[in-house]
Amino acid sequence: MSIDLVLNGLQQGLVLAIIAYGIMIPFRFLDFGDLTADGAYPLGGAVCAVCIMGNVHPIVAIAISMVCAGLMGICTALIHLKYRINSMLAGIILSTMIYSVNLRIMGKPNVALFDCGGLFGSDIYTNMLVIMLFLLICMVPFALFLRTDYGLRFRAVGLNPGLAKLQGISIAKYTIFGLFIAGSSFGLAGSLMVQLQNYMDVGIGVGILIHGLASLMIGEAIVGNATLNRQLLAPVLGALVYQQIQGVALSFGLAPSDLKFFTGSIVLLVIALKCRESKG
Amino acid sequence: MVQLQGVNKSFSGVFEPVLKKINLSLGKGEYCVVIGANGSGKSTLLKIISGEYEADSGSVSRRGDVSQVVQDVNKGTIPAMTMLENIALSGMKMPRFAFYKRHKSDILDKVRSLNVGLEKYIDNPIGVLSGGQRQTIATLMALNSGSRILLLDEHTSALDPKMQRLLMEYTARSVREKEITTLMITHNMEDALNYGDRLIMMHRGRIVEDLSGPRKSQLTIQKLLDMFHRFEDQTMVGDGGFNVD
Repeated sequence: MSIDLVLNGLQQGLVLAIIAYGIMIPFRFLDFGDLTADGAYPLGGAVCAVCIMGNVHPIVAIAISMVCAGLMGICTALIHLKYRINSMLAGIILSTMIYSVNLRIMGKPNVALFDCGGLFGSDIYTNMLVIMLFLLICMVPFALFLRTDYGLRFRAVGLNPGLAKLQGISIAKYTIFGLFIAGSSFGLAGSLMVQLQNYMDVGIGVGILIHGLASLMIGEAIVGNATLNRQLLAPVLGALVYQQIQGVALSFGLAPSDLKFFTGSIVLLVIALKCRESKG
Repeated sequence: MVQLQGVNKSFSGVFEPVLKKINLSLGKGEYCVVIGANGSGKSTLLKIISGEYEADSGSVSRRGDVSQVVQDVNKGTIPAMTMLENIALSGMKMPRFAFYKRHKSDILDKVRSLNVGLEKYIDNPIGVLSGGQRQTIATLMALNSGSRILLLDEHTSALDPKMQRLLMEYTARSVREKEITTLMITHNMEDALNYGDRLIMMHRGRIVEDLSGPRKSQLTIQKLLDMFHRFEDQTMVGDGGFNVD
């Protein structure tokens, strides 16, 4: 396994960490099975691509992408809260719908951004530093928020909704807020990936949820989630490890077309190990 | 603080109403103990007051927030959160964008005042504590919530006799100091006699005895047990209680 493969894995892993982090928020803090990632991630990418083609500054393009993807998260929350549609179904429906929206935004299935300029250059170390900075900008305020009065109430919503209601906590408000943050993270990851690859394809979101979920589960299997710090560390560590596992598999001759099967197998394996552990 | 007038409550599949024409008025700071056999309607009465159930007919009014402690500690606490976080959450009527750990010393003082040595677990997830310890913390959380009405449903059932006594005394002292209107369900006749200003006995959905003042203070365990068995014996020779379809 070459050093380039390791470095590329780390770079991709940092972007994936943002996705896994977005997946963690509804799944672990709100007990809300959210599948919006498959739609919000390419939405962020599409909006960013169009903005960059329109000579919008890359940072502004990222901010616009985050807001758009965050709004998609809010839509998922509202569909679930208003019409009592299962949260996962709401996410799937919206992700399906957003595919058409992305095509409308871009005007065609894929766009190249090679001559448009972007945030990233050819130096992989600088690129990693930039992505890490964005990851920290996402994580640190949220980690601090969770330690405030409002953060405590936010966590209570997922851990014991009945008690949260008794405490006068609005489940709807915190769910909408949580899904906005999660959606924004997917949008951020999508826009960073598009700028990193200088290319946007409408299909980049297919299966991204399962990659993020695998990362989160691997991270939780390594560091656990018994404390808040461990829970917050899990998606980052998991994404970095997961990308390296993929790199190792590819270097051992796994065909890229088999990667999704490989990913699903990892998720099943981690779930099976967790089940065995809890029974034992 | 709490006013129930002509409250009736039935459940589908149960022929006899669970509550029948309940009239009950609880004043500010009043501490009322409810006893009665299983299925007499005690917990339903409590859930009507808390708002968890709606009355089929009659009126229910409550002036102030309601806190409750139930037997199932999983409902009253968050096992994955630490003791500090659980208690901080319960006392948070006006949340702020400030770190909740600022409450730590106040909360530690409150836990110490229980005098049961639980303060050493302040930073541990509450799920690792025993059922009885969690019931104790759930009671402290309810007392800490600032609510004007407190509903206790056998809140000491998971405790050993010594801890039961300590928690009952702590509860009585706290509700007296804070003038919290309290309704407590218990199966322990001694507690029913020793605590509270008022004693209510329920039987098949009705309040059959309502004792306070000298009538309550003159009661003995034997008299109370006789009273309890008299109603139960009536049920035995009657139509056999509830019929479930």
